[in-house]
Amino acid sequence: MPTLLPPKQYTAKLADKTVYNPKFERYSFELTEPNKLEFTAGQYVSMAITNEGHRRSWSIASSPEVDHGFELLIDPKPMGIGTKYLQNLKLGDEVKLLAPLGQFVIDDSGVEQAIVFVATGVGVTPFRAMILDLLQLKNDKREITLHWGLRHVEEMIWQDEFQELAQNYKNFHFHPVISKASPEWPLCRGRVTDCLSIHELPANAGYYLCGRETMIEDVTNLLTTKSVARERIHREKFY
Amino acid sequence: MTDGVVRDQNGNLSKQIGKYKVSVIREKCIAAASCVAIAPGVFKLDEEQIATVISQDGNDDETKLLAAQSCPTAAIVVIDTTTGKQVWPLIE
Repeated sequence: MPTLLPPKQYTAKLADKTVYNPKFERYSFELTEPNKLEFTAGQYVSMAITNEGHRRSWSIASSPEVDHGFELLIDPKPMGIGTKYLQNLKLGDEVKLLAPLGQFVIDDSGVEQAIVFVATGVGVTPFRAMILDLLQLKNDKREITLHWGLRHVEEMIWQDEFQELAQNYKNFHFHPVISKASPEWPLCRGRVTDCLSIHELPANAGYYLCGRETMIEDVTNLLTTKSVARERIHREKFY
Repeated sequence: MTDGVVRDQNGNLSKQIGKYKVSVIREKCIAAASCVAIAPGVFKLDEEQIATVISQDGNDDETKLLAAQSCPTAAIVVIDTTTGKQVWPLIE
């Protein structure tokens, strides 16, 4: 486990909002005070959303290289009070947050000879930060694979970015998995476990799972049957 | 009546410790570890990667409350020992 910085209180302003599709929205914030955030890819922020003390946590989607602000990716469908808070923000509105938080980060012990990311839906968020960090900042040469499960291909975002990374970094592999794919879909279909089952799952790799609890349990069970040690399976449940 | 502010014997302000009692609802914990990051003197993750209280006095009350509020699953309960009332999560 790398040394993680203790969290600090920050204020930030909403700088940009992008509605990609009904499934995903991106919120970009610029830090106000302090104006620099150091974090480890995979960590999250805790944002105050009511005066009564309610807070919501969101994984940072942007690379640690960007330290003057951060990006969040949300799935608005549950329409909880956190989503409503973000959606009600206007550009320039100030937010208060604690950051960085969380221990779902890349193991730096040197034990993991390859890295496999498995995500469903918005669970891909911390992996984007990790992938950018590993490939672009750390020049990591290990085989790095992202399996990303979605229901519909229309939900997919960042595909151009991931495909460009796969072209520029030969050790990075992107496997989108569509559960309700049309017959024309040429790639993996079904659940992420279906896709994982037809790929090699080396026991000396580190496996990072993020998304629905049912996926995390199913993938953990699959990896265990493939003799992957429990310490090599890192999990972050989104709910 | 106090406002949660205490003073030492020299009259200097010091943060209240010990009015709030925290506990963890284990079934709700998902090991997000925000409590550990915010109040490392009070919380740690145990062998099962579940948050556990190591000391009620390891951090001041304000920090303990913030740690509870930061828990994404509301797994941390805060009780005001002077009134017996639950401070967090809010009882709607």
